[in-house]
Amino acid sequence: MRPLLFLGPALMFLGIYQIYPVFASIWFAFHDQSGRSYVGGTNFQWLVLSAEFRAALVNTVLWLAVVPAASTVLGLLSASLTSQIGWGRIAKMLMVLPMALSSVGAASIWKFVYDFRGAGLEQIGLLNAIVVGLGGEPQAWMALPFWNSFLLMVIVIWMQTGFAMIVLSAALHAIPAAMIEAARIDGANGFQLFFWIIVPQMRGAIAVVFLAIFVITLKVFDVVLAMTNGQWNSKVLAHLMFDLMFRGGGDLGRGAAVALVILILVAPILTWKVANARAGKDG
Amino acid sequence: MKTLFACAIAAGTLLVSPAWAQELIFAPGVDGRFSWESYESFGASHRLENQALTIFGPWRGQDQTLAENVFAYFAAATGAKVSYASSENYEQQIVIDTHAGSPPDIAILPQPGLLSDLALKGFLTPLGTETETWLRENYAAGDSWAQLGTYANADGERALYAFPYKAELKSLIWYVPENFEDAGYEVPESMEELKALSQRIVADGATPWCIGLGSGGATGWPATDWVEDILLRTQPPEVYDQWISNAIPFDDPAVVQAIEEFGWFALNKDFVLGGSAAVAASDFRDSPAGLFTSPPQCYMHRQASFIPSFFPKNTRLGLDADFFYFPAYADSGLGTPVLGSGTLVSITRDGMAARAFIDWLKTPIAHELWMAQAGFLTPYKAANTDAYANGELKKQADILMNATTFRFDASDLMPGRIGAGAFWGAMIDFVGGKPAAEVARAVQSAWNELG
Amino acid sequence: MKPLRRFAVHLSALVFVVAWTLPSLGVLVTSLRDRDQVAVSGWWTALSSSSRMQVYRVPEDKGEPVDGRYIVTGSLPGNGEVLIAWGVSSLQPTYFAAGETANLTGGGTLRVEADGSFFLSGTESFARTHRQRIFYSVTAGPRLTMENYANVLFAAGVGRSFLNSAIVAVPATVIPALIAAFAAYALAWMRFPGRWLLRLIVVGLLVVPLQMSLIPLLAFYNSAGHAMGFDPKSYIGVWAAHTGFGMPLAIHLLQNRMAGVPREIVESARMDGAGDFHIFTRIVLPLTFPALVSFGIFQFMWVWNDLLVALVFLGPQDDTLVLTGRLINLMGTNGGDWAMLSASACVASAVPILVFLALQKRVESGLLGIALK
Repeated sequence: MRPLLFLGPALMFLGIYQIYPVFASIWFAFHDQSGRSYVGGTNFQWLVLSAEFRAALVNTVLWLAVVPAASTVLGLLSASLTSQIGWGRIAKMLMVLPMALSSVGAASIWKFVYDFRGAGLEQIGLLNAIVVGLGGEPQAWMALPFWNSFLLMVIVIWMQTGFAMIVLSAALHAIPAAMIEAARIDGANGFQLFFWIIVPQMRGAIAVVFLAIFVITLKVFDVVLAMTNGQWNSKVLAHLMFDLMFRGGGDLGRGAAVALVILILVAPILTWKVANARAGKDG
Repeated sequence: MKTLFACAIAAGTLLVSPAWAQELIFAPGVDGRFSWESYESFGASHRLENQALTIFGPWRGQDQTLAENVFAYFAAATGAKVSYASSENYEQQIVIDTHAGSPPDIAILPQPGLLSDLALKGFLTPLGTETETWLRENYAAGDSWAQLGTYANADGERALYAFPYKAELKSLIWYVPENFEDAGYEVPESMEELKALSQRIVADGATPWCIGLGSGGATGWPATDWVEDILLRTQPPEVYDQWISNAIPFDDPAVVQAIEEFGWFALNKDFVLGGSAAVAASDFRDSPAGLFTSPPQCYMHRQASFIPSFFPKNTRLGLDADFFYFPAYADSGLGTPVLGSGTLVSITRDGMAARAFIDWLKTPIAHELWMAQAGFLTPYKAANTDAYANGELKKQADILMNATTFRFDASDLMPGRIGAGAFWGAMIDFVGGKPAAEVARAVQSAWNELG
Repeated sequence: MKPLRRFAVHLSALVFVVAWTLPSLGVLVTSLRDRDQVAVSGWWTALSSSSRMQVYRVPEDKGEPVDGRYIVTGSLPGNGEVLIAWGVSSLQPTYFAAGETANLTGGGTLRVEADGSFFLSGTESFARTHRQRIFYSVTAGPRLTMENYANVLFAAGVGRSFLNSAIVAVPATVIPALIAAFAAYALAWMRFPGRWLLRLIVVGLLVVPLQMSLIPLLAFYNSAGHAMGFDPKSYIGVWAAHTGFGMPLAIHLLQNRMAGVPREIVESARMDGAGDFHIFTRIVLPLTFPALVSFGIFQFMWVWNDLLVALVFLGPQDDTLVLTGRLINLMGTNGGDWAMLSASACVASAVPILVFLALQKRVESGLLGIALK
């Protein structure tokens, strides 16, 4: 009885806000656009045939291939650099700050960096000013298919690297100094030390960071919404879902079907997390 | 620490935020241009003391102030408490709210296509045959206005669900008369002259057009107006109607040709400020700014009658800026077609206050109050045209009257996912360099997918 | 370490820091610049002087008759800027130097001085001719101003939204922390069937995307609101929503910390006959309070920065719109007005950044708690 007293309110919130919507989405995915009549697998059939869905899936895969890896590598690199210098703390602080921003705030910051004025006009966007300064033609970056996705990814990488850096620098500090000293005595140079001793020691932390950013990346939609609204072929799954559900009258069925696809994509991580939690049972 | 300072200021303002307390901008009963008797009698017959009325609409920024100024009279006349809201992505917001069952009382939308989706799903309240008859009798070209707000419900029964209020004239080209004078240009009377003028401006070393398609979640729509305007000038209106109902495919040669004709203006890098790359990237609200710079960055801007709201502050219409009719081809035999649109008011949650608001729109005063401010056209015959704030609005009303063909914005009439989705995307792809036929085919296949 | 290598390390770290701060710095600098300058020059030129071209229209004035000529005098608007050149035609806006005199096509002459004063003179009254435009170019020194902040805070409703964000964020931080603390204690220290399953579910829920929950939940709110007679869109609703969405992380984080409390302490308290409530409030909670604070920081920042939940559960009305929503609206209606946008962005970001800086230690340990436990 007493555990229920302690757990009750939390269970109620989890039930309403987390578990019920998952089941509701499954239900919607098999119903028509207003969620009234049952349509079987029609929504999924549409997904398979739709060029729009395919494009969003391709972009999402691209995002997942780039963002978690890039954030982790940059985080590792910056963690290693800042651990070696006297002003490391300040450097870290400055690099973590983007995490404190909202996606909308970050989007407005980068919209300004990517700002475009026609050739011959004074560029006030940093990127185009650099390009023009180097003698190039200014570009409407957000309207460049394919490349625009990478420029959007930069924003998320920019926001997530700080997280990776903090976690990885803690893991870096946890490596016994004696181990590094021993390797150095054995004649290992900087690179060997880094790749053969340090990185393997931090395997666990690296995996955690990578997967956390993986999940975040899969859910990214507000950056896309604010920057391009999915135009110029920059749509990702989370944004497509939002778009299907809420634009042009709304299509709950197809939107929910996309939501399930996202859920399926996170399933491996979920399994991994659950397995991990089980392994840590006695800890 | 500048952010700190900013934060301190912010903390200081917390207590002084103004609540909803609207003054009446024209003292009731004073100005003879207004039909005050309709204001008085409406107030006498509609008592809504302290009832709340929530209105959700597309107007933000300056337009929001104008709209709220009008709503204030409704509030004052009836005693209702009116609160108006809008949002940058209002099309999405209204879908979320209606689906979830927490709509505003009144939803005002400029897209009949979206409203027809909502009506189909049962989210709108029919306004009744009496209101429909009223529209047919009291609006100029009333049948077509009533048609604009008539949709089918889930059972296929058609009824009036939306009340058109505030018309827009789309076939306008804005320019700065003195810049034309300085350069010795004449206002073109035909499409051929317009094209010749564009080429002449380029030959003079300047840029004829400012075009911007950016519009947040609706990026691309300004180009759909171009294509529609051109289609009305290259094809008889029947083709236009068939296009809207998809009786001819979206990639019909007539449509593809209209898109290509738009490309004649927008895809020529010498014709558009910033080159065609800037077309999709620049915001439609910023794009007219080039007309007013020194020296002028461009000479012409095609946009609907609402655009002066986005001109630089203190721009005086008729002096600093003016417009001319987007001309028709000289020998097409299609007369002078005009493209327009209207904002539509519908009841998303039935109630006394909501019904009263629809009745309010039938009073001349509800129209005159906005006519007297700025940027408002109405087809309501009983509204006193003397109330128009300036000669410019009257001139627009003339264009409306002289139209040999009047058609509503096609993208607004197509199903939401086409007119407010695929069509926009196609226009962005088109200015991005894809062939017209290909982007038109993509829209048609999206249409086929609607199911 | 070799000096060359040391230098390389410092340099690379510097490159990182610059790359990560430059975009934000651009917005911060822009928010302090003069609006006219923002539109025509990059923020990195904020400290150099810039020139810009203006148009001015002579006011309606038929002119004072002096010695048989009609004279209109006045001054071009400008804040002590220096006039370089001027003109009377849009085609040649800088044709004349300061002090020169132009013959107007409509008759009469115009002279403009370096200080911006002009002198229009004609043989006829100016009543019937149209009002002359004067094109001019000025150079202005660097001008930093708080004007943009004043504009957004007092005129654009940002102040009101700031308050709304605070009203939403504070309870939406405290409530889930409290509720989760109880649940976390139960999961860590109480024995009951299904405990492991519950822990696994909590972990699994960490990855559910939020957007899919919106419509089912809002529909639920409405039917509940209908049945029990409350407004489905209210602060209470949005607090509850944030509580629900923050719950898995809160429980996960706190449960891990609470499980880390030494067993002996809890056991010995039990031996002394202390009940769970006592152990929880007197022993476990004080020991894990830092973790509670860490969660609180993240939850606060997440709620403060949230757009979607607030828009859906609170609505876009002017009186309830939160800061992020206001910023999006400003981005829309003001398109490219970067002076205004950058100031609003800074106002919106000021609070989370201050929290972040003030509680940096707790932020770091919180991040580690999320990641490594």
